[in-house]
Amino acid sequence: MSHPTENSTLSAEQFDPALGKKLSSLGFGVSALGLVISAIGFMTSREQFAFSWLFGFMLVFTLCAGALFWTVLHHATDSEWGILVRRQMENVAGILPVLGLFFLPLILFCAPILWKWWDVAPGVDPLLDAKSAFLNHTFFSLRYVLYFGGLGWVAMVLSKRSVAQDADGAAKHTFAMRKAAIIGLPVFAVCLTFAAVDWLMGLDYHWFSTMWGVYIFAGAAGSSMSLLVLIVTGLRRNGYLKAVTTEHYHVMGKFMLTFVVFWAYIGYSQYMLIWYANIPEETIYFKIRNTESWHYLSTFLVLGRFFIPFPFLLFQSTKKNPKILCGVASWIIFMQIVDIYVIVLPSLHQTGFSPSVFDLASLAAVGGAAAGLYFRRLSASCTFPKRDPRLAGSVNLHN
Amino acid sequence: MSQPRKVYGLGAEFDSAASLMAAAEKIRDTGFAHWDVHTPFPIHGMDKAMGLGKSKLSAAVFVGGLMGLLTGVLLVTIPSFVLYPIIVHGKPYNWATAPAFFPIIFELTVLFSAFTAVGTMFAMNQLPRLNHPVFNWDRFKRFTDDGFLMVIEARDAKFSESRTKALLEEIGGKNVTLIHD
Repeated sequence: MSHPTENSTLSAEQFDPALGKKLSSLGFGVSALGLVISAIGFMTSREQFAFSWLFGFMLVFTLCAGALFWTVLHHATDSEWGILVRRQMENVAGILPVLGLFFLPLILFCAPILWKWWDVAPGVDPLLDAKSAFLNHTFFSLRYVLYFGGLGWVAMVLSKRSVAQDADGAAKHTFAMRKAAIIGLPVFAVCLTFAAVDWLMGLDYHWFSTMWGVYIFAGAAGSSMSLLVLIVTGLRRNGYLKAVTTEHYHVMGKFMLTFVVFWAYIGYSQYMLIWYANIPEETIYFKIRNTESWHYLSTFLVLGRFFIPFPFLLFQSTKKNPKILCGVASWIIFMQIVDIYVIVLPSLHQTGFSPSVFDLASLAAVGGAAAGLYFRRLSASCTFPKRDPRLAGSVNLHN
Repeated sequence: MSQPRKVYGLGAEFDSAASLMAAAEKIRDTGFAHWDVHTPFPIHGMDKAMGLGKSKLSAAVFVGGLMGLLTGVLLVTIPSFVLYPIIVHGKPYNWATAPAFFPIIFELTVLFSAFTAVGTMFAMNQLPRLNHPVFNWDRFKRFTDDGFLMVIEARDAKFSESRTKALLEEIGGKNVTLIHD
């Protein structure tokens, strides 16, 4: 294996700062527009705003958390294949600390609307009383701080170390990142699981599913890998990351396939156990989502999140074709939007699918801001960890 | 023992994984079809150096999996929908009952895929067999330790005892030996 400095084909490159600034401003512009419309929603129909905002927030949150998962996994397993594309995962995961701010409006102004247990007095509902050690205002707010503190800390450590290595190329950063990642894995697992339980499962505090955290994780990891495929392809099209080959696409495609199957496996297992046991407390979740017009969206979710991408990702030739893989990746992200939508909005519109302009506005507000932050981070450092000691191994990747 | 034995092929030893890889590329480019390399550990990129291409095993496994899927679907739908349509647990016997069938369909798909993979692998490797002519080469056992070996079979159209031997020596082969059946 040759030393990276001997690799003449690969020179450090930085995303054009002018273009980065332009794209970043565009993102923030879209976000501002979304914020203005959302603010109108906040004034006029608080309920719709609350659920729409949670939907927009959770979508971006799962994408960023998924990126953190791939970064952490990469270091913890000492992987080599993805060093070339690792910086982009770090850039997406690095949005997490700021993303926490977007949750504040919900916790400050909308908590009783979203999480019905918020305003229930003790002694009224015995089911809630039993859960009150967990479901109370103080602990809920503390957990919110812990989630973003934990996830944000892991993301920042890995990102900072990685950029520091660009400057000195020291191997100690690699070891430090491995250590941080091994601590980061359980931190990530606990934070994402309980965040999913708090913010989404908590929409109906009577309902429970032990697979909920894994279900949200499966969707997050799969859609995040799809996002990485799109980002890498976008950069390649603009003349960056030219060292990425079909071999890298093959690996990313394999991970997409893994998580398409894993999502289906978890989603099905959750549905099957609840459906078979037929306990009213549990079936209520699917009862709302499988009746009225939500039924069409749920069916579409099953078909679109698994049955449509699966045959595309099954074959090696399609995974090695960036065009097809990008098509599938866009589709998976679209289905992730549908997934989060079907999780959040039926709690508000129990009688059927009722789209609102505020759904789109929230998506624009949170997504636009995340994109703006991403582009700002993108042009701040080399598009790949240029002095990672094992970069050459990733460049010469063979499956 | 005195009868002349049929020639199986020519064996050659190489110094290292790298020199074997370079030799394999040359043999590939010369156009040999029936030959193989034997090494103590898997060498990344050797499949390309040998010009092996993508294994046909995955195609067979796909067909096997498809057969398993079909078997699973028929096995659960025919009794439940046609032969004994009984309502169990208050669940209807139409397509909405599908979740109850998925485990069976899934398991049969996996089972058939696995059987096809193992069976096809055995067939493609011509296994099981009790002995192989390469074992007649006394130095062959070194491939489990430190030997980087190449064997070119006599049934190859381009094979010639003298010229192939010269070729193997030219590309760095040592102890080039004629292997008999």
